Amino acid sequence: MEQKLRQEAKALLEQGKVDWIIGFEPGSFKFSTTPLITKDKNDADRLVINPFIVNNLASFLTEIKGRVGIVAKGCDSRSIVSLIQDNKVVREDVVILGVPCPGIIDLAKVERLAGKDRDELDDITREEDKVIIKFDGEKKEFSTTQALFDNCLACELPTPQEYDILLGEPRPPAPNLEVSGEDIEKLKGLVPGQRWEFWQNELSRCIRCYACRNVCPACYCQRCFVEETEPQWALPVPRWQDNLIFQIVRNIHMAGRCTDCGECERVCPVNIPLRSLTREMYDIVDELFHFKAGMDKEALPLMTHYEQEEAEDLFR
Amino acid sequence: MKQQSEWEPKLVGFLCKWCSYAGADLAGTSRKKYPANIRIIKVPCSGRVDPLFILKALRLGFDGVLVSGCHPGECHYQTGNYRARRRVAITKKFLEYMGIEPQRIQASWVSASEGGKFAEVVAEVTKGLKEIGPNQLFSERQGDGTKATARG
Amino acid sequence: MSNKKKISKKDIAKLLGQWSQQFAVFVPSRESGVAEMAKWDGKDTSFLDWYRNTVIPPKASFLPPMEEMFSFQKDKEGYHIQLPPSNEHKQLIFGIRPCDAKALAILDMTFEEAYEDPYYLSKRKSTVLVGLGCTKPCESCFCTSLGISPTESADVDLMLTDIGDHFLIEEVTDKGKELIAKSSGLKEASKDDEARAKEAKETSHNKVTRKINAEGIEDKLLVCFDDEDYWEKTAAKCISCGICTLLCPTCYCFDISDELIKQQGTRFRSWDSCAFPLYTKMPMENPRLEKWRRVRQKVCHKYEFYPMTFDVIACTGCGRCIRLCPVNWDIAQVLENVPVKI
Repeated sequence: MEQKLRQEAKALLEQGKVDWIIGFEPGSFKFSTTPLITKDKNDADRLVINPFIVNNLASFLTEIKGRVGIVAKGCDSRSIVSLIQDNKVVREDVVILGVPCPGIIDLAKVERLAGKDRDELDDITREEDKVIIKFDGEKKEFSTTQALFDNCLACELPTPQEYDILLGEPRPPAPNLEVSGEDIEKLKGLVPGQRWEFWQNELSRCIRCYACRNVCPACYCQRCFVEETEPQWALPVPRWQDNLIFQIVRNIHMAGRCTDCGECERVCPVNIPLRSLTREMYDIVDELFHFKAGMDKEALPLMTHYEQEEAEDLFR
Repeated sequence: MKQQSEWEPKLVGFLCKWCSYAGADLAGTSRKKYPANIRIIKVPCSGRVDPLFILKALRLGFDGVLVSGCHPGECHYQTGNYRARRRVAITKKFLEYMGIEPQRIQASWVSASEGGKFAEVVAEVTKGLKEIGPNQLFSERQGDGTKATARG
Repeated sequence: MSNKKKISKKDIAKLLGQWSQQFAVFVPSRESGVAEMAKWDGKDTSFLDWYRNTVIPPKASFLPPMEEMFSFQKDKEGYHIQLPPSNEHKQLIFGIRPCDAKALAILDMTFEEAYEDPYYLSKRKSTVLVGLGCTKPCESCFCTSLGISPTESADVDLMLTDIGDHFLIEEVTDKGKELIAKSSGLKEASKDDEARAKEAKETSHNKVTRKINAEGIEDKLLVCFDDEDYWEKTAAKCISCGICTLLCPTCYCFDISDELIKQQGTRFRSWDSCAFPLYTKMPMENPRLEKWRRVRQKVCHKYEFYPMTFDVIACTGCGRCIRLCPVNWDIAQVLENVPVKI
């Protein structure tokens, strides 16, 4: 897949079909990758595809100007389609280099499984349904269920539906909603008062870095509600009350545009379980309006559309 | 700690100007009695109501929020209340998941001629709020002053 | 020549217990969900097993993410201000790493020399720092390139070095000397112990593999300051969140907010970041509207402007910015690639 990607990306730039290529290149740590955003066709040789290409590159589409050739896993392609639905991105300006994705390895999970930090591990490899971790001269095998990101386990579209060039063999979806939905199920088992207390505790750690908002492809407002001072909805002060309002309202604003890419939870430096919020909103939107973000390019955005009869049981 | 009998819930109502607000007016001119717990804010359309309003109201200490607009199909701006319907629906369900009592966020369709219905809705909502007690959601928590972390 | 002491790792809890009589003792902890300095619970010393460094930097003990500056009431006569109660209690931070201790010394230049910040200084002056030398530097650490040792520090009161079952204790300041004089349960360190400590320090030093060339970086950055192409390329993948700056032990920017509800108000100070687009927004314009200007500002503040003003690079190589960046933006790579025009 990698070779094909490098050839295609180089060709796109050489033939002037795109101004930019956005993909992944090796990061500065073991087991890491980093976004590569370039106009230079020689940089195409640095592009990689491996079990650690974790970023959702679609978030760069709303800030970059010009035509873009973009590497997209299944979830990323859904984000791109969602942006097209929103009229934020013009389909003709994007060349989607689709990557059928078998799931990305969650380094935080791997660290817990191995009982070691990532820089103490010798190697992490993926073999179909196994993840093999080598450290201290030992070799330990784990199932993909134990080592992949939760949202990868819940993946409904490993192979992009919307693409210009498909870089590998299509993969069928095989979501494991039981394992990936464990945390939300646990929360639903609590009484409301306990649930609110749980979120109070979690959001006490928030330092308002806004990484969750900035990695999100759906958050592209020039001025976020949390930056408003007239009126001031939430102070920029990291009190749990203001942090909670930020997260709640952000999730409601993203409803119908969130594709459960899981980036928000991954990037949070203080380990707040944000996916337990975003995935629940994803499920609510599906339950009430039978809508999944980014699946159908022609579908109207959720919050601008309506049916004649719906949700009437919530209104007096 | 206030006794239940002393405490009166504070309810804020976002009423659309063309239907629900007029309905509330009619309730008044028809001398229909309804609890004075509601404080009314007129909006041009129920579609103007952003979930931010609902959250801010709860943050400020209101015990309940009511969003009321024209019946579906009768919106003065054609489709505003359809937007409100989707928005309020997901807000209600999401806040319930977060742990906020569902009785705190209420929504209704009240037309300009439904003075009676408006009075009934306010009475029912207020009763529901009295049952679940005051909004302590955003109050300082026990032990907030003695945080264990260095961040204080 | 002072007789060095040592303490058995098994006796650390007892020592912390003694110190808890005079100080509020803070140790590395993951209880809150993230690794940070937290008030010691009186018995747990398991941090000795997992601790490499905290995520939240120790600056949080002196410049907290959120701080109440004062409260006020508003009435017909005007505003009446109440200062917060002064906290007289003393703190002891156990386990601070040399890079973070150096960072506090760098912060002092702003909060003590440039101006006197009463909130920061009152905490700083009443805190004892007990340093702990690194045994397992991270992949992201590059302290040695900046002249900072992972195992020795002039900015702590006591310095502990791991020599197996014990920690060797070195007194660095008079405060530290006093503390040791009043502590019991310590043993005398032998010549052997001191030799082991020396070896341990060298080993740790060599484990820091990430290097940057900080030689003349100030001048290199001055030369390429206006190279818009270079900075655009450098900034391309940054997402303008605040992680690198908020979690940097030497960053100190803060925002001030007032909240007035029904005549009762509070003035807060909270962490702010030059990476945010609105950081430099003014009524007429925003001089750093473009992302590349903000990225350039962050690099140049630390490696050009601060050295120009205070003669020290405002970076201690702790590596948090690299480790926690959502897109693996790496300051070490950026500094390596600074184009030097001849």
